[in-house]
Amino acid sequence: MLITGVSGCGKSTLALVLCGLIPSRVPGELRGRVMFRGEPLSGMKPHEASQLVGMVFQNPNLQLINQTVQSEVAFGPENLALPHDEIVRRVNWCLDVTGMDGMRKAATVTLSGGQKQRTAIAATLAMKPQILVLDEPLSDLDPVGAQEVLGTLQRLARDEGTAIVIIEHRVDEVAPWADRVVLMDNGRVVLDQPPRQAWADAAPWSRTGVGVPDVVQLAHALPDAFSGALPLSVEDAAAQLAGTWVVPALARAARYRAAAVDTPNAPSPDTALAEPVPASQPAESQRAWRPPVLAWDGISVDFNAFRAVNDVTLRVAEGESVAVIGANGSGKSTLVSLAVGMGTPSAGQVFFRGQPVTPGKVFEHSAQVALLLQAADEMLFEDSVIDELKFGTKFRALPPNPVLDVEGAIEFFGFSGLENVSPWELSQGGRQRLALAALLVGAPGVLVLDEPTTGQDAEHMRSFLRLLEAVRKRTGLTVLVVTHDIRGLASRAERIVLLGEGEVRLDGPTRKVLARAEELKRWGVLAPPLPRLQVQLLGQCDDVLLSVPDFAATVSAYRDLAALQGVPAEQAGRM
Amino acid sequence: MSNIFVRTVLSYLIIFGTPLLLPWMFIKLVGLGGLRDLVTYEARDTPLHKLDPRLKVLYPIAMGILSIVLNWDYMLIVFGLSVIPWFWLRPSRAKVRVLMVMVIGPALTGFWSQGLYYLPPPPIHYIYQFPPTISWMGSPGLTSYGLVFGLQQSARVLVTVSTSMLILVSTDVGDFTWAFEQFRMPPAMGFALTAALRFLPDMISRTTLVLRAVELRGYDMSKPRWFQVRLWPNYVKRLSRCIVIITVPLLVGSLRGTTTMAMVADARGFGVNRRRGSLQEHPLTAYDIGGYVILVMLVGGAIVLNHFHIGARPY
Repeated sequence: MLITGVSGCGKSTLALVLCGLIPSRVPGELRGRVMFRGEPLSGMKPHEASQLVGMVFQNPNLQLINQTVQSEVAFGPENLALPHDEIVRRVNWCLDVTGMDGMRKAATVTLSGGQKQRTAIAATLAMKPQILVLDEPLSDLDPVGAQEVLGTLQRLARDEGTAIVIIEHRVDEVAPWADRVVLMDNGRVVLDQPPRQAWADAAPWSRTGVGVPDVVQLAHALPDAFSGALPLSVEDAAAQLAGTWVVPALARAARYRAAAVDTPNAPSPDTALAEPVPASQPAESQRAWRPPVLAWDGISVDFNAFRAVNDVTLRVAEGESVAVIGANGSGKSTLVSLAVGMGTPSAGQVFFRGQPVTPGKVFEHSAQVALLLQAADEMLFEDSVIDELKFGTKFRALPPNPVLDVEGAIEFFGFSGLENVSPWELSQGGRQRLALAALLVGAPGVLVLDEPTTGQDAEHMRSFLRLLEAVRKRTGLTVLVVTHDIRGLASRAERIVLLGEGEVRLDGPTRKVLARAEELKRWGVLAPPLPRLQVQLLGQCDDVLLSVPDFAATVSAYRDLAALQGVPAEQAGRM
Repeated sequence: MSNIFVRTVLSYLIIFGTPLLLPWMFIKLVGLGGLRDLVTYEARDTPLHKLDPRLKVLYPIAMGILSIVLNWDYMLIVFGLSVIPWFWLRPSRAKVRVLMVMVIGPALTGFWSQGLYYLPPPPIHYIYQFPPTISWMGSPGLTSYGLVFGLQQSARVLVTVSTSMLILVSTDVGDFTWAFEQFRMPPAMGFALTAALRFLPDMISRTTLVLRAVELRGYDMSKPRWFQVRLWPNYVKRLSRCIVIITVPLLVGSLRGTTTMAMVADARGFGVNRRRGSLQEHPLTAYDIGGYVILVMLVGGAIVLNHFHIGARPY
């Protein structure tokens, strides 16, 4: 069962109630009862309830108490004073079913995010619950870690018959195998249906601001192309679209775009119609003239014997928007943090506007390159919003920011009336906005964002992206984003740089990089559903359309063009 | 005049040089991030890892007793014995670096301070006698007797610290909990140790992160060069102020984590039973029996010898 809804709608509270942790451990007034096979769960002690309904929390770091994987899994059965043989049996089963058997003696601090979350699942399963509740288990994970966890959950449901209740914003990944979808809003369940029925009507989803899988959105946008049941996965959608007018229209649009990029000044091959797709992505040639604001020249970074970054040369042009993507440990954060003087390269040099960036001089370089950490909360130090915005100017003399001063930032970031409120009274999104605003008040030349949308729901993500776009428009900032969120964040960048094992594996306009689904996969990155769908439909393509409106508008335009030219739709692709 | 000036400078260097080596060694060889290695368990397949956890808990206590009751000559033997298991364990290079700084650093300071301030009855043999210009420091000079005494005291501390560290890095915290339980100690004690050892590395990582964040927000943490003497007071002031600044985010983050951890512990039945089960069985092996025999012989022997005033410390 997938439970979804915007942040603060009551999903996590419901999960805590389901597991009997409310009201026993989280204070609150509980009305009604949770029944498990006729027995009330709400009155049970947490350890009794956890043997019926197990809970896996969002942050794996906070739920791993012991030092090794096997001792973590054994912790629950040991507390229940089970016989040694039974503990061994449970531990072996849990490690086997979660695929962690090979790492049973590994120290938990050395595990990747996906491995930590699988260990947490194993430890919860060791209590032998019949239902497993997971509260946003994917939000802190990279695509590979998310796939590991989802694979484990699928195995549990299919092979072991464990009921899985998953609370998640990343609906695209969970949708294909959910049997039931529950939508919550303002503490209430507003929808509870099988997935195809749940997403058949888009109204409740748009009303609540909750994300809908891309393939579902596409089916709504092109109702005449999808004749069968509502698709829930890329494979579903590809199977339904194969042989329809969409494929030739898509192929023709792709050929046109390739021709336009190869000969940017050439007249349009379709004289009857202007370019049907809004040119939201500047071509390679358009950004080539811009001077580099940041340059990494032959950079390598070593951590003892481990080479995190290997001989990377990279230029970021003034005003450009670049997403750096890659699996965990691919060297993304290490590489970009060098731009602000954090870390020391073992070879090469980083330049900001032609001047070398000195390792260790973070204070000096942070005036030019602002870095927003993933843990934005760790960047807040003051008692009020206004003091937080003035923090930077308190400790160094900064020239007045003509574009975004403190007063301007209060208005622009929506803090009017909240000047004297403590940052800790703001929502998580509010605190992130405040940290961003405080950095921008210092008028940096480049804004670097490290995983800014992790754990955010669709609505918060959309509003953050709108805010970022507005900031770019107002300040003309160069923006560099390190992200796992390919669908939401990276696909809105002008350019994507893919890192794999510390080296640049792909670098180019977003549309072109996301068309290389196989290469992305090889380096631990899963392309978003729409690009994968296009690759599946066309076999191979040079570039892809990134949003559902773009996709729908483009294929519809080429179908109309074919009709104007009197060509049957199914032949239009060969024109 | 110049003679007394040179002697004064030299005396200050002798007094402060060695203690200042400590922070220098810490910054250069360990750093805040390196502290993680101090308390991180290294899972390996050595005989030391397989020893009975009860024996491991008793080992530093026994060595501590020996270091208290024996005189210097016998202490040298104990000190030698305490070093041998490290070769058995063969810890990682990173861990050795941290351990060396964290163990030898304070010992070095103790040794040096005794050399400066521990005064034997006259006649005193000075390695270097300080001029009257620094009489306000309260030390007449560096004495050979004081250094030897400092060496003895440091070795006593080293034995206890080194054996405790040895056990800490070679024992899974679950085994500690089991051992405490066997000694009839409350389970909460084992859990407190578990929580501390598990979350200390996280806390150190978070402190490093917040220190980075404060610089990113425009707080100057840059260190002056050693010769920029006038800038150092301001640096120390900024450093002290920074501690106040970073306290709030560190506290908020830590408290937030403990709530989840407490719920997880509850859900996994912690504290439900007075007795706990165990994943690991710890049958007594020949190694364990040998270890117990050696410990009993060492402690018993030391007590008996003390009774006959052999190897006893002069009081």
